[in-house]
Amino acid sequence: MASLVRRFTALVFGTMMTASFVHAGEVSPTITVGTQEVGLTAGYMLSHRLTYLHKTQQHGPALMPSWMITLTDPVGDGWYRGQVSLGAEMVYLEFREPLLTHGIGFTPRIKYTFVALGRLRPYAEFTGGPFWTDLGGRVREQANEFNFILSGGVGVSWFITPQAAINVGYRFHHISNAGTAFPNLGLNASLPFAGFSFFF
Amino acid sequence: MTMTMFRWSILSLAGFVLCSITGCTRWIDVKPPSVDPKEIMTHSLPNDERVPLVTNSFHLTRNGSSQYPSADLERRILSSVQETSLFSTLTPLGEKSDSLGDKTVSARITVDETIEPHSWLAAFKGIVIGASMFLLSPFIDLEYEYAATVALELERWDGHVTRYEGRSSGTVYYKLFGATPVMIDELKGHVTEACLTDLTQQLVRDTNLYMASSAPLPDAGIRTVTVKAKRPATTHPTRALVPVTTP
Repeated sequence: MASLVRRFTALVFGTMMTASFVHAGEVSPTITVGTQEVGLTAGYMLSHRLTYLHKTQQHGPALMPSWMITLTDPVGDGWYRGQVSLGAEMVYLEFREPLLTHGIGFTPRIKYTFVALGRLRPYAEFTGGPFWTDLGGRVREQANEFNFILSGGVGVSWFITPQAAINVGYRFHHISNAGTAFPNLGLNASLPFAGFSFFF
Repeated sequence: MTMTMFRWSILSLAGFVLCSITGCTRWIDVKPPSVDPKEIMTHSLPNDERVPLVTNSFHLTRNGSSQYPSADLERRILSSVQETSLFSTLTPLGEKSDSLGDKTVSARITVDETIEPHSWLAAFKGIVIGASMFLLSPFIDLEYEYAATVALELERWDGHVTRYEGRSSGTVYYKLFGATPVMIDELKGHVTEACLTDLTQQLVRDTNLYMASSAPLPDAGIRTVTVKAKRPATTHPTRALVPVTTP
């Protein structure tokens, strides 16, 4: 997994360095209704123990391939002018602590992208869906393997060409089982991430 | 047991295929429906009866705000006019028209576009589709509306002005997985075609107006000149009317 993260980081920075910054002024992404986006994002999960009952300090890398489709043309005026996209994301988490375990989930993803700044596009996103992990049942916070994962976060896309962008951002992750088994304290984590997207 | 599993597998596969097919569909509804351009009546005029048409201005507005008009759109409009065979040559905006003779028809083109993307409704439906884990995507339609009015104002060499107007509107209905930027181009293409068909049908009805023999050239010796009266420098204009005699 560590080598995968290293390769991914090299790919992101390689893309950044080989991009044509000479023609920076010509980059003008035209994203309209129906424009699709595929992306790959990686990050590192850092646990938050929100109550004294939380003991597990889970952490580890995360990998999130995604697909999205633009639902709207830019709406609104001023700084909040933006577009709504809907899509889906696979999320893979490797928990290195307290046990080497894994988790995989499938989540719908909705994103609002602010378009007022041209090639620099901040966004806010929300995902939520089913999540399976073999960490469940082995820690005091979660009783079973089948859970749900919810995440909300913000990020920024920097368009290096009209069809390609580099993304960095932060997400807050919450894993719990929606009361289907007890205990259900939930596992919470911060996830700083980086990745890239292609638009077509 | 095996038979039951097989039945469920077939049923699931059929359901998946059905949802995939219906979830990727889209269709366009244009009002009024565009007529086959070949059905437009054309008049075969003798060559010496046909006069050139010169584009004098071209304005484009979108949702009420002025836009820079594209050369492609102008070419498309002129191409539709060309298909009526009413004019000998068509000169686009900005091209020289000095050598075309005295009898020319001047054209002023105005295109007014209205786009209604139903953005907030699409965002709301997107949330519903996402919350249903995409299971509702085959059952929820998203829509995008486009309407256009193409106006063509023709001024004959003797100053006679006639205005023609073609209107059309259309909506593309699509499922989430059928969305693509191409569908918007398709919708605009269909609506523009319907507008131009309407416009050229009106134009063909007035064929006689644009025949070279329909009107004589205005007398070259007579010119209409508008002269703006110069404001007198003095604040007492009546004084200038008082006859003054000097001894």
